[in-house]
Amino acid sequence: MKPAPFEYCRPSSVSEAVDALAAAESGRVLAGGQSLIPAMNFRLTDVSVLVDIRDVAGLDRVTVEPGGVTVGAAATQSRVLADDGAAAVVPGLRVALRHVGHLQIRNRGTVCGSIAHADPAAELPALAVAVDATISVEGPDGGRNIAARDFLLGPFWTALDDAEVVTEVCFPAAPEGAVTVVDEISRRAGDFAVTGLVAIIEPVDAVVRSARLVGFGVGGAPMRLTEAEAALSGWAGHHTDSAVLEAAAADAADAFEDIHATAEYRREVLGALVVRAARKALNSGASP
Amino acid sequence: MIPDIDDHIRHSTRHIGRSVPRREDRGPLTGRGRYVADIKLPGMLEVCIVRSTEAHARITEIDTSQAEALDGVVAVYTGADLADVSTFPDYIAYIGAVRQRPLATDRVRYVGAPYAAVVAVDRYVAEDGAALVAAGTIYEPLPTVADLAQALAPGAPKLFDDWDSNVSVDVAPHKPEVDRAFEEADHTFTDTYWSQRQTGLPMETRGVVAEVTDGTLTVWSSTQSPHMVRTAIALMLGVPEPQVRVIHPVVGGGFGTKTHTYPEDIVVPWIARRLGCAARWIEDRAENLVASAHAREQRHDVEVAYDDDGAIGAIRCTSTLDMGSGEIFMPGTAPVFVTNACITGGYDFPNMQARTVGVVTNKTPAGAYRGFGIPEGAFVMERIIDRVARLTGTDRVALRRRMLLRPGQTPHVMHGGGRLDSGSHTESFERALETTAPALERARTRHADDSDVRVGVGYCNYVEPTSPSYHLTTGQWGGHDSATVRVDPDGSVRVAAGLSAMGQGNETTAAQLAADALGVSPEQVTVVLGDTERAPYGLGSWGSRGAMMLTGSVLMASERLLDKARRIAAHLLEASPGDIVVSDGAFHVAGSPQPSVSWADVGTTAWVRTVDLPDDIEAGLETSAFYHPEHLTHQLDEDGKINAAASWSNGTHIAVVSVRVSTGEVRIEDFIVVHDCGTVINPALVEGQVHGGVVQGIAGAMYEHFQYDSDTAQPRFSSFMDYLVPTCAEAPPIDVDHIESPAPDQPLGVKGCGEGGTVGPPAAVAGAVSDALSEWGVDLTECPVTPVAVRAAIRAAEAAGRGPGATR
Amino acid sequence: MSVSQPVSEIEVEITINSRRRRDRVPSRLLLSDYIRDTVGLTGTHLGCEHGYCGACTVMVDGDAVRSCLMLTVQADGAEIRTVEDLAPAGSDALSPMQQAFHDNHALQCGFCTAGFLMTLESVDPADYRHPQQVVELLSGNLCRCTGYQNIVTAVAQAWSDSTQAQ
Repeated sequence: MKPAPFEYCRPSSVSEAVDALAAAESGRVLAGGQSLIPAMNFRLTDVSVLVDIRDVAGLDRVTVEPGGVTVGAAATQSRVLADDGAAAVVPGLRVALRHVGHLQIRNRGTVCGSIAHADPAAELPALAVAVDATISVEGPDGGRNIAARDFLLGPFWTALDDAEVVTEVCFPAAPEGAVTVVDEISRRAGDFAVTGLVAIIEPVDAVVRSARLVGFGVGGAPMRLTEAEAALSGWAGHHTDSAVLEAAAADAADAFEDIHATAEYRREVLGALVVRAARKALNSGASP
Repeated sequence: MIPDIDDHIRHSTRHIGRSVPRREDRGPLTGRGRYVADIKLPGMLEVCIVRSTEAHARITEIDTSQAEALDGVVAVYTGADLADVSTFPDYIAYIGAVRQRPLATDRVRYVGAPYAAVVAVDRYVAEDGAALVAAGTIYEPLPTVADLAQALAPGAPKLFDDWDSNVSVDVAPHKPEVDRAFEEADHTFTDTYWSQRQTGLPMETRGVVAEVTDGTLTVWSSTQSPHMVRTAIALMLGVPEPQVRVIHPVVGGGFGTKTHTYPEDIVVPWIARRLGCAARWIEDRAENLVASAHAREQRHDVEVAYDDDGAIGAIRCTSTLDMGSGEIFMPGTAPVFVTNACITGGYDFPNMQARTVGVVTNKTPAGAYRGFGIPEGAFVMERIIDRVARLTGTDRVALRRRMLLRPGQTPHVMHGGGRLDSGSHTESFERALETTAPALERARTRHADDSDVRVGVGYCNYVEPTSPSYHLTTGQWGGHDSATVRVDPDGSVRVAAGLSAMGQGNETTAAQLAADALGVSPEQVTVVLGDTERAPYGLGSWGSRGAMMLTGSVLMASERLLDKARRIAAHLLEASPGDIVVSDGAFHVAGSPQPSVSWADVGTTAWVRTVDLPDDIEAGLETSAFYHPEHLTHQLDEDGKINAAASWSNGTHIAVVSVRVSTGEVRIEDFIVVHDCGTVINPALVEGQVHGGVVQGIAGAMYEHFQYDSDTAQPRFSSFMDYLVPTCAEAPPIDVDHIESPAPDQPLGVKGCGEGGTVGPPAAVAGAVSDALSEWGVDLTECPVTPVAVRAAIRAAEAAGRGPGATR
Repeated sequence: MSVSQPVSEIEVEITINSRRRRDRVPSRLLLSDYIRDTVGLTGTHLGCEHGYCGACTVMVDGDAVRSCLMLTVQADGAEIRTVEDLAPAGSDALSPMQQAFHDNHALQCGFCTAGFLMTLESVDPADYRHPQQVVELLSGNLCRCTGYQNIVTAVAQAWSDSTQAQ
């Protein structure tokens, strides 16, 4: 399990990185490498040139402002996880990162890399969709900003062009009073989710006023659960609410099947996660 | 039984029975343990094995030219190059001959089958070459059989053209008394239980290093059985056995998978001889998942005759093993025989008839994995008992109590012939129940406020055959093991045993034994294991045999040595040998500590100042012994029965679980173990074996499962993301208690403890989850018990109108 | 220092267990193989080479990382510590955590042990006061022998001793 031969470069600017990617037959950006290197060890990924962005000044920056948190492409997950300021503005970052891998992975893995990798069962892409994050990329034709929902196209498939580099991701601040829940069923601690949910719920007087729900590990990309959002509106934590379960199942009508779970399981458990999240939000909403 | 030394040790024991700290720890703790992958020899080349990507195919062409042209590639070999190597022997006449070649020549029968080897300057280049060989391979695909049903279907594609079918073995005894029991019973039921495909998965993969120097072929192999590997190499390569030396360095776990002699154990030495330089192959994890033995995939078709009061009259069981392609040495059939032998466990009921079937499929060959068929058998029995209890409205615990062997009922011969020499079957169950009651209460309290959670408890009482016959498994080897004990001129003791070690602490155990046998401290004892040149022929470590076989062989050799040492000491002290005793490293006349002579005095006299020896004592102070346990038999008797284990440990496992109904998530709240392995030599080591075994058992109960595509027989796994080895977070608290029922016929009463931990968890967890979901009438018949499986069971029950959800 | 043109071989400067080295390595050489084969420190083990088992865990600039998921060139300029660096030099003594593993029978085959020790060495015990946090920390390293219970006990002992010593 050794990688096939490739060439390596370590540019000092984003434009050099873009040039290197543009010149390569099959270039890849190396940030943390925690998904890319295993794929290369298995020889599942064809790479002719690796473009290591660690020497590009400023890419490891994490900027916390009242309106949101901007995470540079080289900022590690551990670094963001430890950032109390970031957690205060975008609570989802911390709760999502707690589910990501293990300490050793988070020490190298980057927030932006996880989003660019677009694993359908990963937490951070789902968070990005849930909070309406914006992905900033640079390419041969200049820069552009892409909404997360437009960036994540399918399993391991993004809107990123071959010679484009993700430079940062901006996570907008959570709405006042909202509760962010990241919950998932995973087979083991630290595993990717069998099925997971990012929920941003605004409880008012023990009733769900609005909910923004994104499922992951269900479809090819993070999935807005619009029917469940509607069903949850006005929900007050009834002991069971089959309408919520049914709505979530309808949202997940095209759930996939793999060795870890059947589509049927994913559909029904997604509803259970929605109920669980809503209940948690209502409980924590009672005492902010 | 070795009466003299037994008696000697019983009266002088200082170290046996104590948690003597492990001498094996320092190397791994400081990064200086030397595993096979750490061996680096001058001029050593690296080997990469090229493996089939087809599940069943003829290989019509292998173009090696591109790989050979690659810079850094030294050679590429295919099966055709190894024409001078014989096939692995097919020693067992009653199972289908597979004539396994080290590298496949024309046909491959599973994904992962080795068919070529690339030799290069390093592993990176060797893998580059292997990719080119793979690209240059042309297959003619053949129809596949991915499971038992496909393999047994009429007209199924056959793996071996000269066989009648895919059935490798089918042993079907008929007992008329079982028929009668079925006729007389109030009720019967039939069902099918399954055990899923798993593997031992040591953290260290396999590896082989070989070189020829000064006429000796030296092979370092991460094996559990170095002598058996030596015999296979000599036989297959046609090298005189004294010119082959097999060493196992520090081994990073085995769990049965490393008991087999694999193709690479032959191919790498062949390459070293062919090229005249050192060669190394280290299995990577991707290979390991398809190229090291799988295990446990069995189907059990049972019929049970029982009465209104829950009394089980008889069981018929057909146990069918999915052998994978069967291309493995030793063959993988033995575990299913062990399953049938162990179904009855410590339960006494009137009769049983078991049929044993082995079937080949286009999957990785099945072989040994810790537990070796026992967990599968225990699962069948415990699920049957729970079912009968439910069908008759009998209490599950009471039914077990009625059937368990009570004190005084051993020795007891099981339906398959296994002779339970002693044990604490009822006592261990009762003691485990005592611990369970508060644990269950805690779990219920913890979840009392959560209407989505149900709590349940599940039971498993099991027996663990220890120090088994290897004849039924291999068709060739028996059941002995060996030790040489030597005292050097300085009085130091050296023990070299045919046993091996893969982490159990066998070196520490051997030192404890020799220390007490010779009246010295363990620090004075040097232990050598796993080297065919330094230890006499032994069979290695497997089958929970380490403790008993070390005890027998080390004590036998020590007794002989001590006898000679006493005579020398008596001569030096001018006393009679019969009056001489040894303690604290000194010989003196019993009752008068002075004058005395030391082991150094005796050793120096024996080896150096031999002029001081009397005429009737030859020089030297070294003895070897070959120990074979009493009552261990190797052949079936006229009734088809056999006691293929020297002694039988036993125990009870109880799982307390909580189940989240909405998601199917299962959490083991407590896992209770009462374990009886006879006399304990080192309590810490035994407890370590239990902990590790239990978590492996839980892996089988809830996590690990090799799945194959049913249309193509392609693996649906490739990494640790698909094969779910439990982490620390999945390991529950384990409460271990010990009972000691000494083996009446074995030295010091020692039994074995390596495998028992793996036995109970599947049965206990499936029983506990079924109990938790009793409102739905859930009765799980297979593992792993995953969230998906739990939800499926609940959904099926509700669809059938059972359970609280069904009424709403 | 940037490497502007793609190269298949590169010179790296790495400090490993306080010794500074310069080596010319292939771009594709994994850090794990550099440590084991180039430097010859074989106490770091390879259990999966896809970043799951944690046996190859080492410290890079103070952080625990999986050395099989890092290229050697990515460690250019870094300071690395491996298991060989844990015990005090020039004596038979073990580090407190190594000693706790020994005292609690927290290793059997020992293949995974270096990874556990390096993970533990890299963190501040003060951040892991709750037992559940310790379990989560340890869940990044697989052990197939011990069932983890004795490892958890060893960590608790070593860390409670270290708090008492303070």
